[in-house]
Amino acid sequence: MADLEEAKIVGTPALDGRYISEMDMWPLECQEFNRLYQFYDNLREGRFTTTKCQKCGHIAFPPGVICPKCWSEELEWVDLPQRAKVVTFTETQAGAPIGFPPPIIMAWLNFGKDSPLKHLLGRIINCAEGELKEDDEVKLVVFEVPSHPIEIKKDTKICDRVYYAFERVK
Amino acid sequence: MAKGTNAVIVGGGVSKFGVRQATLFDMVQEAAKACSDDIPALKPEGIDGLLFCSTKVGRHSNALNTAPLIAHRLGLKPTSICTRLDTLCAGSNTGIILAKGLVESGISEVVLVTGAEKSYLPQRWETNYTELAVNDHDWDSAMGLGVPPPFFAMIAKMHMKRYGTTKEQMARVSVANYNYGSTNPKAHFYPRTLDLETALDARLIADPFGLYDCCPLTDGASAVIITSEERAKDLSDRPLVYIRGTGQHATHSMSAGWPGETLAEWPHLKRAAEVAYKNAQVSPKDIDVAQVHDCFTISEIIEMEELGFCKKGEGGAYVASGALNLDGERPINTDGGLISCGHPFGASGARQSLELCKQLQGRAINQAKNPKFALAHNLSGACAQHTVVIYGTEPVE
Repeated sequence: MADLEEAKIVGTPALDGRYISEMDMWPLECQEFNRLYQFYDNLREGRFTTTKCQKCGHIAFPPGVICPKCWSEELEWVDLPQRAKVVTFTETQAGAPIGFPPPIIMAWLNFGKDSPLKHLLGRIINCAEGELKEDDEVKLVVFEVPSHPIEIKKDTKICDRVYYAFERVK
Repeated sequence: MAKGTNAVIVGGGVSKFGVRQATLFDMVQEAAKACSDDIPALKPEGIDGLLFCSTKVGRHSNALNTAPLIAHRLGLKPTSICTRLDTLCAGSNTGIILAKGLVESGISEVVLVTGAEKSYLPQRWETNYTELAVNDHDWDSAMGLGVPPPFFAMIAKMHMKRYGTTKEQMARVSVANYNYGSTNPKAHFYPRTLDLETALDARLIADPFGLYDCCPLTDGASAVIITSEERAKDLSDRPLVYIRGTGQHATHSMSAGWPGETLAEWPHLKRAAEVAYKNAQVSPKDIDVAQVHDCFTISEIIEMEELGFCKKGEGGAYVASGALNLDGERPINTDGGLISCGHPFGASGARQSLELCKQLQGRAINQAKNPKFALAHNLSGACAQHTVVIYGTEPVE
């Protein structure tokens, strides 16, 4: 096996060190690229939100710029429950995508009868393998994820980002 | 071509499925060659429509407007349609649905539906990483939902909890499909057979799935010819196989929109099947042979229920009863299914439908006894969409 470092095997020198959004595992969250930037701004403030239609009252998830029920554009941001119950879960042994170190714990979450968001597939973090149980209560956790550059004329702006997952309520 | 004709599937071919030392374009050429071997009267100049079905091609083969590239490589000069379809796992059965519409409306005369996928890249991490783009990227994928086993493992756990389905019942699916595939030289795992003990002892992939509960990622291509019954008689002397009815139902793209009461109920498949049965003027009991989307063993079990082949919750007992076997009530996945053939997404639908075409023409390797009606099914993505195509030896009246 050749030593990759020493042999300098690089398939695409032109891309060396460049950010490639086509291969980004996180969303483009900033206002320049996403009309739902408010969702991420709210996450930064510890709020888990989505859009509610002011015309028909439907609360959608994920949020959008129109209501998927009546196609109205008159929407407002509302808070969602931040706690859910683990219905079932899985701890992946093999094949987790790079960037998600195994074992990656994913759970089918139930937010309760009265929640507009009934269920969601959620990643469980801050949890050792074998620790999570069905019916456990979990809560929202917000964390920083890597930032990315945007070209603005001749300058480069750096966009900071956050994302969310869930952890056990102990 | 006069309107009011009935669309038929004439025949087709597939490339060798597996971890291939070949590009996507090599494999499409292999599939087209196999198709022409199956239908000797077919000439490239006689094909006026091309539907190319592939999902990863933009990323894994660095090709975006792909249909013209495929047309060029196959010597086609399409005049009625030449486009790519991306329906992930249901790519080429979607192509067959559209080809039926094109032929029966008079827009196209002879349509080549070809599907292909190049899954294996020089480094394995990139293949798994692409899966993040296959799900709803900004929402589910950012939660770590990449390759499908974790999601379907949760479905299996839920089905086991609610309906008492067992690991042994799931293993019965892989045993049946491996043993069918052991006679299919094009299958990824040909000529491997599998016994129950080996299936149950396999290493864990995502609890409760062992290795043999999961279909593999596969490189491969498939091609079939869809045309009118009149033109089909010019191309082949074989019995006509009619595309009687189709249904395709999508309800959501991400987990928050899941339509079932729990993960163990798939009402969106039930609905797609109802539409297809109605259009085909048949009911579940009429289906003699089927090709269903066995991406995981639990998928085939739930599909037996939602397609109406058994009662809800009894899929595990149904597959363990031997119903899937050639001498059983309704042979399923007689060419090995996804579990043995492998799953090159865009290619799987036409591979399934070609096997049903052969079954209804009486020339399959694992031939069912005098089948009259056949059904193909795919699910796409994290079980977000269902596609059903029903074939018969007679047209709908």
